[in-house]
Amino acid sequence: MGLSNRNAATSAFRRPKNSFIGNLAVSLASYIPLLQIGTLQLEHAHSIDVALLHAVARRDEQALASLYDRYRVILFGLLVRILNSREEAEDVLQEVFLQIWRRAADFDERRGRPFTWLVTLARSRAIDRLRFLASRQRVTDTAAREAPEEVSDAASDTLHSEQREIVQRALAELPEEQKLILLLAYFEGLTQSEISERLSTPLGTVKTRMRSGMIKLRELLGSQMKSLR
Amino acid sequence: MAHQDYQEMLTAQALNALDADDARVLEAHVQGCAECRIELSSWEDTAAGLAFAALGTQPVEPTIQLRERTLQAIRAETLALGTFEGDGSRVSNVVDLDQRRPRSWTPALTWGAVAAAVVFAVLGASIFILWQQNLAARDELARLTQQVREANEQLARQRDALGMVATPGTRMTELAGTNEMPGAHAMLAFDQSGRALLMAKGLPPPPTGKAYQLWFIAGGRPLPGKVFTTDNSGAGMLTDQIPAEALKAAVFAITLEPKDGVPAPTGAIYLKS
Repeated sequence: MGLSNRNAATSAFRRPKNSFIGNLAVSLASYIPLLQIGTLQLEHAHSIDVALLHAVARRDEQALASLYDRYRVILFGLLVRILNSREEAEDVLQEVFLQIWRRAADFDERRGRPFTWLVTLARSRAIDRLRFLASRQRVTDTAAREAPEEVSDAASDTLHSEQREIVQRALAELPEEQKLILLLAYFEGLTQSEISERLSTPLGTVKTRMRSGMIKLRELLGSQMKSLR
Repeated sequence: MAHQDYQEMLTAQALNALDADDARVLEAHVQGCAECRIELSSWEDTAAGLAFAALGTQPVEPTIQLRERTLQAIRAETLALGTFEGDGSRVSNVVDLDQRRPRSWTPALTWGAVAAAVVFAVLGASIFILWQQNLAARDELARLTQQVREANEQLARQRDALGMVATPGTRMTELAGTNEMPGAHAMLAFDQSGRALLMAKGLPPPPTGKAYQLWFIAGGRPLPGKVFTTDNSGAGMLTDQIPAEALKAAVFAITLEPKDGVPAPTGAIYLKS
C-alpha cells in the first residue's frame, strides 16, 4: 500500500484524544513502511511497533489500522500457509486483530518483541482453527514440500523477500529430517508425539531432532535475527 | 526433573509442540525461573522467524474489504462494551446521529413483527369484549339487586299488613271509586295506635309529577296523609300514621296531587270511604 493510500485509508478512523504517542507512532509508521531494511530503520520499526501496541491498548483505532497495514502481509501469508484456505485465513486474520485490540494491554516489551507476540498470536489462532476444522488430512510432507522451493529474487515485496530468503536459506541448510519436523510443528501444529506417529519415528528421536533443528536454525539466523523484526 | 531437563524442553515449547503433560510441567517451572523465561523468549523469537518461510514469491494479501470489516468489528465491540480510553475515561455508548444506520430487517424479524401485531390486536379485542361483558354483567347485577330489594320490601309490607289485619281491634274501611275513577277500590286497615295500611286496586299509574294522596277527614277538615303510586296493574300500597285528631274520623279519601303532596287537597277525589 502506497503512502497516499495508507493515509487515505487511516484518515477514516477516529483519532482518540490524548493519544500523542499513538499519533506519533502512526505518523512514523507511515514514513517507515515494512519494506525498509537497515539497522536504524529496524530499531525504529521495533520502537514504532511497541508504541503502536501501547496506543492500541489505549483504544486507538488508528494505531490498530497502522498495525494492520504493517503486518497484514506476513500474518496473512502465515495463516494461508497453515490453513491452506484464503477464506479461512481472512476469517482468522480478523479474529487476530480483534484479539490484538482486546489484549494489547497484555503485551510487555520487556518480555518479548512485538513481532514475536503478533506472529505467535496469529499462529495460535490458526492452529486452533485448523484443529477445529479437523483438516489435518494433508500429506506428511506438505510443509516441507511447500517451503523452500518458493524462494525467488523476483519478490515484489523487498523486505519480505529478503527476510524470507534469510529464513529459507537457513532452513535449506538444516538436515532434511530436522527441517521437516520443525515445519510440521510450526505450520501444522503437531506435537512431538503426533509428529512421531506421523513420521513413524521414535518420540525420543523426534525430540532430539526438533531441539537440534532449533539450535541450528538460531545459529544460522545468528546476527540476522534482528532483521526479522 | 533437573533444570537442564526443562531447558531442553524450551525449544519444543517455543513451537507449541510439547505434549500436554510436558507443557504443563514446563509452564509451572517457567513461572518461577527467570533464566528459563528469558531463554524461552529467545526461542520464541527464533520460532516466529519461521513465519517468513510461509511467504511465497508473490506475497498473498487479504482482500481490501477485510481491513474495513475488521475495524468496523472493533468499533462495534467498543460501542457494545463501552471500553475505556487511555486517559481512563469511559467512552460514551451514545451513538452519534451520523453513525446511525437503518435497522436491517430480516424476514424472520418481519414475520415476528406481524405475529406480534396480530397477537396484540387479538389481545386488545379480547380485553374490550371482556370489558363490555363486565359492564353488562354489572348492570344486570344492579337490576337484579334492585328487584330483590323491592321484592323484599314488598314482602315486608305484606307481612306488616297481615300482622296488622290479624291484630285484635284493627278496623277495616273500604274506599270506593268516585265518578272520577269508578273502577278503583281500596281497603284501609288501622289499629288503635293509628298505624294504618292502605291497599288500593284499579288506580292507573299517576301522570308524571303526580301522586295519589290519602286524606283523613275529621270534623269536615281534611288532614293530609302520605302520597303513593301504583304499578301498571293499578295496585298500590301505603303505610301511614293517622294523626291523633283523626283517629275518630269516619271518612277517608284519596286525591290526585303533586308528587310531593300538599297540605290541603287540590285535586279531584278518586276514592272515598
